[in-house]
Amino acid sequence: MKVLKVPARTIAVFIVPCLLLYVCLVFVPILVSLYTGLLKWDGLTSAHFIGFGNFKEMFFHDPVFWPSVKRTLLYSVASMLEIPLCLGMAILLNRNLKKGNTLVSIYFTPVILSVVIIGQLWKTIYNPASMGGMLNGVLISLGLDSWTHNWLTEPNIAMFALYVVSLWQYFGYHLLIQYTGVQNIPDELYEAAKIDGADGFKADRYITLPLIVPIFKISIILAFIGSLQAFDLVMVMTAGGPAHATDVISTHMYNSSFMSFKYGYGSAIATFLVVVCLVFTAFINTIFNKLERKYT
Amino acid sequence: MSKLKKGVVYLLFAIPVVTQLYPLLWLVLYSLKTNEEIMDGSFFSFPKSIQWHNYTEAYTSGSYLKYLTNSVFVTGVTMIFVILLASMAAYAISRFRWKYGNLVMTIFLMGMMIPMQATLLPLMIIFKNIHVLNTHWSLILPYVAFSTPIAVFILTGFMKAIPHEIEESAFIDGANIYRIFRSIILPVSVPPVMTVCILTFINIWNEYILAATFISSEKLKTLPFGVYTFVSQYSVNYGNIGAFLVMGALPVILIYFFLSNQITKGMVAGAVKG
Repeated sequence: MKVLKVPARTIAVFIVPCLLLYVCLVFVPILVSLYTGLLKWDGLTSAHFIGFGNFKEMFFHDPVFWPSVKRTLLYSVASMLEIPLCLGMAILLNRNLKKGNTLVSIYFTPVILSVVIIGQLWKTIYNPASMGGMLNGVLISLGLDSWTHNWLTEPNIAMFALYVVSLWQYFGYHLLIQYTGVQNIPDELYEAAKIDGADGFKADRYITLPLIVPIFKISIILAFIGSLQAFDLVMVMTAGGPAHATDVISTHMYNSSFMSFKYGYGSAIATFLVVVCLVFTAFINTIFNKLERKYT
Repeated sequence: MSKLKKGVVYLLFAIPVVTQLYPLLWLVLYSLKTNEEIMDGSFFSFPKSIQWHNYTEAYTSGSYLKYLTNSVFVTGVTMIFVILLASMAAYAISRFRWKYGNLVMTIFLMGMMIPMQATLLPLMIIFKNIHVLNTHWSLILPYVAFSTPIAVFILTGFMKAIPHEIEESAFIDGANIYRIFRSIILPVSVPPVMTVCILTFINIWNEYILAATFISSEKLKTLPFGVYTFVSQYSVNYGNIGAFLVMGALPVILIYFFLSNQITKGMVAGAVKG
């Protein structure tokens, strides 16, 4: 491949504006955060350097921290669980409908809405029936009065109520990704398999599944990383409450930094979050690379 | 396939249509009812008479138009910067012969794994010190920065495949590199630029947390933040809240209605390439 040789100054003109902005606004803040994570600082009075004190506090003394990590991981697992379902649905759509695209676009609608709209909509759905909540309204009209709940204010239930909203919003996204993947598998493969006597589920087992692994991986990574970063939906719907029952890593970070003004401590949690994201992305990538090698 | 089996499959397809669309439809019905009708808690009922005044009240008391204009401005400026900066960077990475091309690409790729909220506090401290906090720039700058990695990635992938003969003949005809970029590379890169536009638009238009953290003036709020403020301020007037939520969703829904094919394609491209 021939590639243009241009003077260094020209290269700089093209690359520097973008790179500079990017480094200053993504990498520099992360570095600042690494540093402020080592301080005891409320943002107003002068800061004290306390080394890994914040991390010690976080790992060993903070009663909110580990439960919030657990919830974050459960959030990730919950959102990954719907992907096999989406794949199954995508296969069925592709086999039974010529124009599945329209249907998929309909399923996709919630994805494009802001979490503020989604969050407020579901808050209203979860309201007590006396305040017009739809879910409780449905339960009452089915005669299941005893099943009604204050979905977002009961500590045992609130987190599950949030999982449901996330699953609902991203169902269409994962379905769309899987559907596009299934559509891209050439028809000839299935025709050839039919001649060899494999169609229906057998063809899916030996053709669709192996070929869909890379696309499946994309959905898994998106769901996993998306939920590790799960933040704005929780902020809009419960802000971590009631009594920390729905705190995830990000909301705990936000509340520590901006509500309790523990800048140093908040930064330490942010550092933890960045590390977890990097480690898990690498981990999932390795697993799937192994899977891909096994199947192809 | 037997008729029964077919029926079951179609039923399976119909269920998500209901679950995905009905809550949105329900919100529209909700927004047209009186408080009493809403509070009777039925999950499906039409308003006895349509309460349009919910909309007029929400519109006048909620400075909807201001939030909308702010969102258009912030998203528009962000998109222009992203396209300009990312396509220039992508051109340099994909077409120039230099040592650090791959290194620069790796730096951009690493950023895709960094969660935006981890930068909230440091950015706030930095912005406070350089006095951009509570201006639209405090949103536009990080929005551009966080949108560039995926944009650079998509554009680089596309530009690598443009045949080199085009550039060579333009060179021979005496065009300089800026001219080539402007009148050859950019025009042929319209399809990936569209993808980048869609991804950036959906992400930035809907962004809430940065806006809620960096903006405090009422007159600078973007639509999602504006909707949030409205809802928390008028928490007992359900009809008005419903109306404001519908108005908040309307711009994106309208755009999606006309461009759903492009948007779904763009979102898949963004996911698959990211």
